[in-house]
Amino acid sequence: MVCSTNLFVELIMTHSSSLLHQEDPNAIAKRLMQKAHTRDGLPEIAVGITFLVLAGLCWLQEIFKHGTNGYQAASLGMVLLFPALAFGTQWAIKHVRRRFLIKKVGYVEAKPVNRKQRGIVFVIAAAVAAAVTIATYIFIRGSHSSTAFSATGWLLAGTGIIGGAGAAFLGRLPRYVVGGVIMAATGIYLAFSGVSLNAGFAILYGLIGLLSLISGCVVLLLLVRQPAQEGE
Amino acid sequence: MSAKIQQLAEIDRVIHEPARLMIVALLAAVVEADFQYLRNATGLTQGNLSTHLSRLEEAGYIAIEKSFRGKYPLTICRLTERGREVLDNYRKVIKAALR
Repeated sequence: MVCSTNLFVELIMTHSSSLLHQEDPNAIAKRLMQKAHTRDGLPEIAVGITFLVLAGLCWLQEIFKHGTNGYQAASLGMVLLFPALAFGTQWAIKHVRRRFLIKKVGYVEAKPVNRKQRGIVFVIAAAVAAAVTIATYIFIRGSHSSTAFSATGWLLAGTGIIGGAGAAFLGRLPRYVVGGVIMAATGIYLAFSGVSLNAGFAILYGLIGLLSLISGCVVLLLLVRQPAQEGE
Repeated sequence: MSAKIQQLAEIDRVIHEPARLMIVALLAAVVEADFQYLRNATGLTQGNLSTHLSRLEEAGYIAIEKSFRGKYPLTICRLTERGREVLDNYRKVIKAALR
């Protein structure tokens, strides 16, 4: 019996793909769902638009002097528009898919976000806000001393590297990894280029936004041009 | 250890098949999904997916419902309570045996 069960374990390991038995079914489902989620390029288009808007606001902050109405409007826009876009685009993606792409990508109803997941998102958002506040504080302190350049450089390089690593890790697709590498490299380049903080962020976010938008549009175009599959 | 491994001999063969495990794992992660979504996510052919869905429905692990969204016909699949129990049990047995 033991011999036969050992044989059975071996059979499981060889007969079934490693994808299925080396991991938890939850991990398999998450990977498959992520693959399906990125299949139409809509999330990248949404990210692209969000980052281009953010880049535009950073650029406005660069153009207008600190304390002017234009600068304050840009700052307010950043505070209000960025979260609105981040959440609004999720809603828009869902509706565009159901309205125009259902034949291509199919229909799925995701599970509602539970309290634990909401809590995790809230903690991450709070941690990011705290990190940004600390980084800005360091920058403002640094701008009054001889270390101003290094403080700006750290912020730009840090944003590029952390953002790039995040994109590569979360996306797990070659195009996301390439995007992540470009983001990190741009951040590091800008850190040494001597640009101002707002101009640096405008360039960094603008480049990410543009790359993401182009990549998403290409993926969407390829999907739309695919011949329709037969129904079940 | 031996007892845990021996449990594998009694594993549910319906869910153990890789394609069906993919389908069940996917359905466990969502409320419901249609045929097209499952086909894209799993990479199975139309015929293969149909066969596996029928097998899972026969076993009572999934429920299939035909409906429409506008003019577009939808074959909506969702995991039943029985299917969820079987998946949980399968996960426990495999984890315990391969640990």
